[in-house]
Amino acid sequence: MLANVNATRMELLRLRKRVALASRGHRLLSEKRDEISRQLIKIARDIQPLRQKVETELSQTFRRFMLARASMEPEHTTAALAVPTKKFSMAMQFASVMNVKVPHLLKEIEGEIICYGYATTSGEMDVALLSLERAFDLLIELAEKEKQARLLAVELQMTRRRVNVLEHVVIPEIQETTRYIHDKLSEAERDNTSRLMKITDIIRK
Amino acid sequence: MQLDKMDLGIHDFFTYPPVGEDDYAYMFQTAQVRSMETQMLTRTALLDMANASDFTSAAGSLSGTEYTLPSGAGAAELETMLRQRRSAVRRLFEDLMLDERIVEIFRNRNDYANLRLVLRRVLTDKPVGADYSAEGNAPPELLAQAFEEQNYAILPEHVQAAIDQATLAYYQNKSVRQIDFAIDRAEAAYGLERARTVDGNVFLVNLFRIQVDLTNLRTMLRVKSLGADPRDALLEGGFVEMDRLRQGFDLPYEALGALFFATPYHHIVESGAGYLAANGSFLVVEQQCDDYLLGYLRQTMQIASGPQPVIAFFLAKEHEIRTVRLILTAKKNQLDTKLILDRIA
Repeated sequence: MLANVNATRMELLRLRKRVALASRGHRLLSEKRDEISRQLIKIARDIQPLRQKVETELSQTFRRFMLARASMEPEHTTAALAVPTKKFSMAMQFASVMNVKVPHLLKEIEGEIICYGYATTSGEMDVALLSLERAFDLLIELAEKEKQARLLAVELQMTRRRVNVLEHVVIPEIQETTRYIHDKLSEAERDNTSRLMKITDIIRK
Repeated sequence: MQLDKMDLGIHDFFTYPPVGEDDYAYMFQTAQVRSMETQMLTRTALLDMANASDFTSAAGSLSGTEYTLPSGAGAAELETMLRQRRSAVRRLFEDLMLDERIVEIFRNRNDYANLRLVLRRVLTDKPVGADYSAEGNAPPELLAQAFEEQNYAILPEHVQAAIDQATLAYYQNKSVRQIDFAIDRAEAAYGLERARTVDGNVFLVNLFRIQVDLTNLRTMLRVKSLGADPRDALLEGGFVEMDRLRQGFDLPYEALGALFFATPYHHIVESGAGYLAANGSFLVVEQQCDDYLLGYLRQTMQIASGPQPVIAFFLAKEHEIRTVRLILTAKKNQLDTKLILDRIA
């Protein structure tokens, strides 16, 4: 679609600058899109085995905890888990990947996860809690990577849309407008030349 | 003679220690539990439940028994039903037992469970709460009141002693686990001490000594598996010498069977350690411990009349309730049948 512009030489020069800028932006954004895609594929490849590990550990935790809870008296389960001794805190830092701020989770874990005596508790509870402890580390890593992947995916989508808009809308439109102005100016030039020739002709007669 | 039987060493019996003498004051009670024993779930019934395809068919196989669940019952209904059954069994035991001191010994288990919970909360500055078992000797209100007012004199003496020991143990390095270790030791020592003074004391003393041994064996394997500090973890008063158990902490799993070869717990340790080393799980050692204890309880069949069959029935019934809970919970959560069979078979 033609932009509503004045067909002047100034406008033509301005549009030529714009098209040059848009082409440069398009090239840069294409490179950014390719790099984000590369990063995203790398993260996605890391996520898949990590997620499998987390699911295995969590399913192990769940199975063992169910067995432990079922084979212990309810009062003993309550007493054993009433006051957990493992303390957990988390801080978030941001790193920049292709100008996308991705979170980096810093965890601080202290204390033992096994916080009960042995006489009235089941050994399966130990297995369940140790498995949960392992799963927890992996879970944080997975959360971090999944958040990074999500942010990069959103950025990739936006970048791709920008590249497409530049490639298929902005640059062709400007080029078309440039051609139109060029045609108009050429027409005006030809008009002017023929008018001058006509005047010269009249004067000669 | 009885004192000799109570102070047996690990080499003084082959598989199970003696269960004591007849006491004809318990004729009616023994006859009653003998008749009720016939209604207990058989091993086949439990295996059928474990092999059932899902929770509904496992629960369905209990129809017609005291564990019948309404159709569409969930985990909460199951837990409520099992707690009701356990309370009924405990009430029956209290009714049947002529010697109140035996009832008191078994009720003490709940006192110590309450104590673990309340001490953990109080010593870590958490609210005392009100979710305590009402089936102990000390009512939950009394326990809460004692801790809120810091007036422990209103509690029984052995509970006061356990509080002192647990508090001292906690403040040594502010470890919550030390509370449990101290209470476990106090509970085992008090149980043994009280058992020596009541009817059927040979059976009760030997039963508690076996329980201490089985706890120590499980503890030894758990400490080894966790790589934890073995100090304070073992209980005293069992048949197995403490040196043998301490030696077990340093040996590899495959050498444990040989260490306990001369004890009746050889099979428990050997199969339990083997399964633990192969699968990283305590299912088999726990199953073997349960089997050994039930085997000892079955020895009370030799007693024509006495408190021993009543106590054995009570403990076997509690075990049955735990097994039903285990199978149905596992089925409800779609756990692998092999896991259930490893734990119960």
